[in-house]
Amino acid sequence: MATYYLTTPLKEEDVRQLQIGDTVYLSGEVFTGRSRIHRYIFDEAHTLPVDTSRRNAMVHVGPIMKKTSDGWELVSFMPTSSLRFEKWGALSVEHWNLRLIVGKTTMGKETMEAMKKFGCVHVSPQCVSPNLWHDSITIQGVELFEELGSIEACWQLKLDKLGPFIVDIDSTGRNYFDELDIQVAKKRDLVLKSMGIPEDFTPTKLY
Amino acid sequence: MLTKERLKEAFDLAVFRGATYLSEDVYEALQRAIDREDGPAKEGLRRTLQSLEISREKGLPACPDTGWPLFFIKLGNEAQIEGGVLALEELGRQAIREATLRGTLRKTMKHPITGYDPGDNVSDHTPWFDIKYVPGKDIEITYAAKGGGSEVFGGTRHQMLAFADGLDGIRQFIIDAYIASARAGAVCPPGILGVGIGGTANMAADLAKEAACLRRIGSRHPEPVFAKLEQELEDAINALGIGHMGAGGRTSVLAVHVEYSYTHIAGVAVATSTNCCVARRGTVRLTEEALEILPGANWFETR
Repeated sequence: MATYYLTTPLKEEDVRQLQIGDTVYLSGEVFTGRSRIHRYIFDEAHTLPVDTSRRNAMVHVGPIMKKTSDGWELVSFMPTSSLRFEKWGALSVEHWNLRLIVGKTTMGKETMEAMKKFGCVHVSPQCVSPNLWHDSITIQGVELFEELGSIEACWQLKLDKLGPFIVDIDSTGRNYFDELDIQVAKKRDLVLKSMGIPEDFTPTKLY
Repeated sequence: MLTKERLKEAFDLAVFRGATYLSEDVYEALQRAIDREDGPAKEGLRRTLQSLEISREKGLPACPDTGWPLFFIKLGNEAQIEGGVLALEELGRQAIREATLRGTLRKTMKHPITGYDPGDNVSDHTPWFDIKYVPGKDIEITYAAKGGGSEVFGGTRHQMLAFADGLDGIRQFIIDAYIASARAGAVCPPGILGVGIGGTANMAADLAKEAACLRRIGSRHPEPVFAKLEQELEDAINALGIGHMGAGGRTSVLAVHVEYSYTHIAGVAVATSTNCCVARRGTVRLTEEALEILPGANWFETR
C-alpha cells in the first residue's frame, strides 16, 4: 500500500493509479458540501457556483466557521459520512467532474460504478482529529451561505497536505470496507460459535 | 436555595465540559487501545487522542458535530430551586443557546421537515431533558452530546425477541446490531455499546442510550449475570476485527454496558445504542455550598 501526495486540479491518471488501502494527502483547491447542496443543485435545478474543471475534489463536511472582522476563522473540521449522500453520489461524480471525494465511511454501488466509469476515488479519515487539521486548511471564500446556512454552505478551501486518508473506493470498482465486511462476517460466525450459539440458530419471527 | 444564577453556572459548565473535555475513563480506554494496536490503527488512535488533548487544553469542540444536545438531571427530592423545577428547563435551554452563539456548539439542530434553522439549537424538545428524582438536596447535571454518526447509524436498533430465543437470541442480535452500526466506521468505533434488555421497546431504547452515554468505562453491572454478559460481549466484539473507524484492528468497542428492566411474559425487547469513541459527557453537582465537577453521572446508582 503506497502513500500519495495529490494536488488539485486532479488528472484522471492521478486517481486511476490509486488502489484501496493506499494513503492520500490532499493539497490544492477544493469545495465542501453536505445533503442540502446536493438537493439544491440536483433536485431543485440550481447551478453549482464552483469551477469544477479546476476545483475537482469535494469534501463532505459541515465545519464550524466563525466570522471575524476580516473574514472567516475555522473552528472545527471533520469529514462527515458520505453514505448519506448516495442518492446523489453518481450525479455529483458525473456532473461536477469530481476526481476525488473526501468523506467519512464510504459510498454505495451506484457511486462506485460512476467512479469506475469517469475516474474518481473516495477517501476517508482513519481518525477523529479535527484539531490536527487547522494548519492544512485556508478558507478562500464561501458560496450559497444565505441559501444553505453556514454548515451546509459551499466553502471554498485551499488545502496543504490534508490527511492522512485511506482510499476506500478506487476507480476499478473495489471497496475497502466491502472487502473488510467479508472478513468480519467470517469472524462473526466464529465468535458466535465460541459463545455456544448453534450455527443454525434462527430467532423466532414475531413480526 | 439553589439560585438561578448558580444553576445557570452549573448548566454552562456541564455543557462546556461535555462538548470539549474528554472524560478520564474514555481517555484511559483510548490509551489502552493504542497500547494494544499496531500499524495504521495505532496511528489513527494516536491522532484521535492527540486531537482530543488539544480540545481539552484549548476548550475547542471535541468534534465539529456537537451532537444532539441531551441533559440528564438527578434532582434531589429536597432541592430548593429558585423558580421551581420549571427553571431547570429554562436555564438548560439558555445554556445551549449561549454555547451555540459562542461557537462551542455547532448550529446543528433543524426542523425535520422544512429544514428551518433556529440558529441556536433550541426548539421543541431540543435540548432534551431526562430528570430522575434522587434523595437529598443537591442537583447533578450531565450534558451528553450524542453525535450524528453514532445516533444515525448506531442509535436505537431494537428487536422484540420471543422467550424461546433466550440468551442466544439476545447475544446474536446485539453482535449483529453492532456490526451493522460500525460498518465503514459509521459510529466512529471503537464506541461504547449500550444495551437495554426488557421493558417496553422505548424503555429498552432509553436504557440502551443511558448505558452508552452515562456509565463510566470500567464499571460493571452489579448483578453477576449482566456483568458476565458485558464482559463476554466486549471480548466477542473485539475479536471481530472492526477497529478504529471500521478500518480493521484489535479494538472494536471500548466497553459494553447492559441495563435491564423486567419484562412482560409475551417477549423480551432488546435495544442497542452506541456512543462514538469521543463519548462526550460532562457532569457537575450543585449543592448549597459548591459547584463541583464529577468524574461521571453515576446515573444507575438507584437501580
